Amino acid sequence: MTDNILVRNNVNVIGTGTQTIVFAHGFGCDQTMWRHVVPNFISDYQVVLFDYVGSGQSQINDYDPVKYSNLQGYAQDVLEILDALALKNVIFVGHSVSSMIGLLASLRGGSEYFERIVMIGPSPRYMNDLPDYYGGFEKSDIDELLTMMQLNFIGWASYLAPIVMQNPERQELTEELEQSFCSRDPRIARQFAEVTFLSDCRSSLSEATVPTLILQCSQDSIAPVEVGQYLHAHLKNSTLQQMAAKGHYPQLSHPDETTRLIKAYLASK
Amino acid sequence: MDIQLDKAPCGYFSISDSGSILTINQTLLDMLLYERHELLGRHIESVMSVTNKLFFHTYFYPYIQMHGHVNEMYISLRTNAQQDLPVLLNGVRQQRDGETVIDCVAVVMRKRIEHERDILHSKTKLEELYQATNEANQKLEILHEEYELKQQELIRINLQLETMAATDPLTGLHNRRFFQVSLLTQLLSFRETGEPFSLLIIDIDHFKRINDTFGHPAGDAVLVHLARLLESMAREPDIIARFGGEEFVVILPGTDQDDAILTAEKYRSAIASSSCGEHTITVSIGASTVCHGDTDETLLHQADTALYASKSSGRDRVTHSKQLVAAQD
Repeated sequence: MTDNILVRNNVNVIGTGTQTIVFAHGFGCDQTMWRHVVPNFISDYQVVLFDYVGSGQSQINDYDPVKYSNLQGYAQDVLEILDALALKNVIFVGHSVSSMIGLLASLRGGSEYFERIVMIGPSPRYMNDLPDYYGGFEKSDIDELLTMMQLNFIGWASYLAPIVMQNPERQELTEELEQSFCSRDPRIARQFAEVTFLSDCRSSLSEATVPTLILQCSQDSIAPVEVGQYLHAHLKNSTLQQMAAKGHYPQLSHPDETTRLIKAYLASK
Repeated sequence: MDIQLDKAPCGYFSISDSGSILTINQTLLDMLLYERHELLGRHIESVMSVTNKLFFHTYFYPYIQMHGHVNEMYISLRTNAQQDLPVLLNGVRQQRDGETVIDCVAVVMRKRIEHERDILHSKTKLEELYQATNEANQKLEILHEEYELKQQELIRINLQLETMAATDPLTGLHNRRFFQVSLLTQLLSFRETGEPFSLLIIDIDHFKRINDTFGHPAGDAVLVHLARLLESMAREPDIIARFGGEEFVVILPGTDQDDAILTAEKYRSAIASSSCGEHTITVSIGASTVCHGDTDETLLHQADTALYASKSSGRDRVTHSKQLVAAQD
C-alpha cells in the first residue's frame, strides 16, 4: 500500500535534513516546475516532490473521476503520501491550487501534519462573488477556458475520446500524446480545470490554524492582489508577503526571490 | 528589426522570462491595431482577454519554461479595438545576448478556428450520440436479460403444466392421454423398425366391492398400492398409465407375444401375493401384441377382448388376444 502510494504519486525524496519540505505543484504542471528552487533547499532540508494523479509521471490508471471531483480527493492523497513516508510537522509549499489542497489536508488530517504552509499565488475562489468577493473571473471566463482547452486538445481529444473508451489498453497512444501537453489525458485535464477553477474554499479558511505564508505576486492575473488580501484577512496566523515577481509562477520566473522569502519566513519564529 | 521580419506574413514578438514585450513586428502591430511604442515594455497579458490570460498562464508559460518550446497553441489575442484575434502560436525559449527570451510567431487562424469549432461541435455531438447509444444498448441488454428470465420461467411453467396434463393425480402414473400419445409413437416406431411391442390392460377384480365395503379412501389406497407395485416391476422403457377407474395399461416395447404373456403372468402373481393393508387383490389381464395393419384402436380392442376373456373365465388370470384367435381357430 505504502509503495503503491509512492508510485501512484511519483513521490521523490531528496536532500538531507531533519525538517521536511513538501513541494506541491499547481494545475497544468508537475513536480519539475520546482527545479529552480529545490536545489536551494536540499542541503538543509529533506525535500519531498510528487505529481498529483493525472499529472506528470503519476499512475494515470489510478485516476478516479469520483474521488477527484473536488479538491478533497487531492487533499486525501497529500495525507496518504505523508503517512506513507511517516511524516509529521512538515513544511508544505503549495503553488496555486495546491495552496488550498494543503489547507484542506491540514483540516482533514489534523494540524500535526503541518508545521507551516507556504502558499504561492493562492486563491480560495477564482470566480467573482460580487459584491463581497473578487476572485478575478466570471463563470463565462471559466467556460471559455474549458472550450479553449478543448480546442487546443482537439487533435487528440476528438481522436481519443471514442477510441480510448473502447481501448483502454492502448497505452502507446497515451504515451505518444502525453508529450503534447503537461496533462496526459484531455478528460483529466478538463476535470482538473473544472475542479480547480470552480472550487470555493472560503468557508474553510476560518477553521485553519497552521501558520501560513501567502506569497502574493505582482500583476498575477490568476490570483490578483485582492485575493491575497482576502486570504490574509480570513486566515489566522497568516503572513502576507508581496513579491516583486510578476506573473503566476515566481518559482520559475524568480526562483531567487521565491527561495529568499520562503527561507526568511521559515527562519522567523 | 530587419525589414523582412518586420513585414513577414506572420506576427512575431519576443518576451522576457517575466512576460514583458521586448520586440514586436509591424505585421503583428497591424493585426492588433497598436503602435509599436504602445506595446514595447508592456506585459504580453495586455493583449489578452481574461480567459486567454488564464490559458496562457496555465499552459503556455509553465510548458515553455519546462520544455523550452510550445508548438501550435491556439490562443486568442485582444486587439486595441477589443476584438478577439485567434492565432496559432509557436514559441521557443532561448538565450540571446546573455538574456533568456521567448520568441513567438503568431499566425491568424480566423477561418481555421471556425473549422476547429465545427470539429469540436461534431465531436461533442458524436460523444453525446455515443453515450446515448451506449445507454440504449445497456437498456436493451437489461430488457434482453429480463426477457430471457421470463422465457425460462415460461418454459418451467409449461413443463409443469405438461407434466400435470400427462399425469394421473391420484397415482402419479401417466394418464390416459399420455398413454394414447405413447401408443401412437410406438406404432410409428413399429412401422419404421418392425420391432414388436405388446400392450397389457390390467383390471382389478371386484374393485367395486372394496369401494362399496370400505369406502373410497380404501379404494384409492388400493389404486395407489397397485401403481407403486407396477412401477417397481417395470423396466426402463415400459410405459405404465392409469387408463381410468380400476384399469391400468402397460406398453411393453421390444416385447413379443410370449414375453408379453410371461410379463403379464409375473405381474399377476406378484399382485396376488402382495397385500395392501388388510386387503388382498387380484387382477385380470388382457394382452395384445402388435401385428402389421394394427392401429391403436385394434390393439386396444384386442387387449380389451382378451381382458374380457380373463374376467369371464374366472378372473385372476392372463389372456393374450392371440390365444383367443387360436382357440377360435
